[in-house]
Amino acid sequence: MDSTEPTGTKAVRPTKARAPAPVARGKHSWLWSLAVGMLILGVIGAIPFQNDIAGLILWTNVVMFCCLAQSWNLIGGFVGYAAFGNVVFFGIGAYTVAVALQHDVPYAIGLLLGVVISAAFAFLLGLPVLRLKGHYFAIATLGVAVAIGEVVEAEGIGGPGGEASLPAPTFGGLDTNTVFFFAFVTLSALLLLGTTWLTRTRFGYALVAIRENEQAAEALGIATFWYKVAAFTISAIPTALAGGLYAYWQQFFNPSGEGGAFDPSRSIAMVLMTFLGGAGTILGPLIGGIIVEYLDNYTLINFSTIHGPLLGAIVVLVTIFLPQGLIRLVQELTRAPVALEGPEAAKVSYIHRIGEGVRRVFRFIASQGV
Amino acid sequence: MLPDGPNGPSASLLELSEVTKRFGGLPAVHNFGFSVREGEVVGIIGPNGAGKSTLISLIGGAISPTAGTVSYQGRDISRLSPHARSYLGIARTFQIAQPFVGLDVRENVLVGALFGRRNLSRNEAMRVADEVLERVGLARKARLKGDQLTVADRKQLEMARALATNPKLLLLDEVMAGLTYNEVDQAVELIRDINRSGVTVLVVEHIMRAIRGVSDRVVVMHHGRKIAEDTPDEVLSDPRVIEAYLGERYSKQRQATQGNQRQGSAETIENEWKEGLA
Repeated sequence: MDSTEPTGTKAVRPTKARAPAPVARGKHSWLWSLAVGMLILGVIGAIPFQNDIAGLILWTNVVMFCCLAQSWNLIGGFVGYAAFGNVVFFGIGAYTVAVALQHDVPYAIGLLLGVVISAAFAFLLGLPVLRLKGHYFAIATLGVAVAIGEVVEAEGIGGPGGEASLPAPTFGGLDTNTVFFFAFVTLSALLLLGTTWLTRTRFGYALVAIRENEQAAEALGIATFWYKVAAFTISAIPTALAGGLYAYWQQFFNPSGEGGAFDPSRSIAMVLMTFLGGAGTILGPLIGGIIVEYLDNYTLINFSTIHGPLLGAIVVLVTIFLPQGLIRLVQELTRAPVALEGPEAAKVSYIHRIGEGVRRVFRFIASQGV
Repeated sequence: MLPDGPNGPSASLLELSEVTKRFGGLPAVHNFGFSVREGEVVGIIGPNGAGKSTLISLIGGAISPTAGTVSYQGRDISRLSPHARSYLGIARTFQIAQPFVGLDVRENVLVGALFGRRNLSRNEAMRVADEVLERVGLARKARLKGDQLTVADRKQLEMARALATNPKLLLLDEVMAGLTYNEVDQAVELIRDINRSGVTVLVVEHIMRAIRGVSDRVVVMHHGRKIAEDTPDEVLSDPRVIEAYLGERYSKQRQATQGNQRQGSAETIENEWKEGLA
């Protein structure tokens, strides 16, 4: 259900004036989203110039998670299929790079191999699991991710027990931390552009239609199954790239456990970040990623004893009051009330609009919250 | 595809032969056969649970028949997916409207225009969407979201979306339920207009006035079977049809009082039917 009541109830009401005004999206909201996203990434891009190594590493991590959330947004946000195992593509990307570098294969080739293997795996995995729906799909993907991590550990891929160690990266004298930082920022910017482009295309409309109503989408001529497989496969590609970057940046990593390449909590983080920011929006995963990962670090450093519960409380509050995400809140605030006959909307005063916006936000929280 | 015998010119656009659909043990549609000629408007009526919506889903492709074949333009489409049937020009509406609630009305229709039988660019599709919205009378509400619509608007949106796919065969599943008297008249006029533009229409409806207003031919379903097929007036005065709607006892009473004559006009049938429901 959405923010405003169906207009059908309006006619019955005697107090017609107080009924919520119909609202519509701004015409160029995608341009705004893209501009704001690029601005955010631009500001973050200034961080290496502060010469704060701890800050640089923290923000590399933050942007990496943004990339993961932005990738997950494609299948989880646009198609609305809650994939809980996308970390598997991250892990495959990381371990492909590890094995490639251990065999003296150039890094770029390793990254490319990781992408190809992840995409192929996503395609083959998608064929069975994308026939499932809801919880079943979530559990199936989660199970696969855990299983692959176990296999890597048991087979000793990348090192005994899967404990991979890579040669130290060299980039012709450049600071490696800075190089990886900009690599992640670039990836995030590309994802931002890609997502914006997606919202303007036939492909994007197909994905959204599937999310909104799969049955109706199919009836209107959308080959829903193949669009889902395509979205799942495409979402694996940047995830694997991020994994490959992470591998060489970290040099040492485990398959499972806290911080492991196949750690399921990475999958959870992708979901949480996307939903906090706004699933299926251009900006949502970027903003959600920054907030969650930064808060995670901040609480870990400043409230280390209650770090877990504090973060948990934030998650609970978000799911109760903002299940649609922060972006939707901003959209509700800024939307112009659209009178059904166009030009009258323009006559509404600015102050009135802000007041209406705030009221709409409260109504939105009230209607969306549990 | 299965061979369909000689590829001679077929008069019928859609042909169902001995179609059965079982859910578990219960047949929702049983040994059902009928055909629709190109350019016709065929009405399908029947009491609740008669299998009308199942029939629409069998033609639209949401479900496949347990037995029998659905042919379209002389080709067996029984196992085709709904989207493939959409490419062939079959469009349907849903009895319970299924809008894309997160999209506005215009985008809802845009999806129909982008996919379906047309292969349009985004701008062309936008133009088509606006035309269709104008045609069904939803243009003023183009910027509203799917869930801000009244029930009647949602039904119109269903129709608009289906029309945007540029269908040859339009399946309408109770698009007039919940409409006011005047709105029904408008909908009847719209369906006639759509038909005049060369679209074959299959209408499932409970409102007899509407069925009579649009249909060249009416098929009556009861317990998944076809019990009558004729012109609207003939069908509505058929005792078997009255019996199906109002029950056996009522039908016998009526026969006793009226001397077993088929003289009830469509209006009286409809009124009696309404009383029967109440």
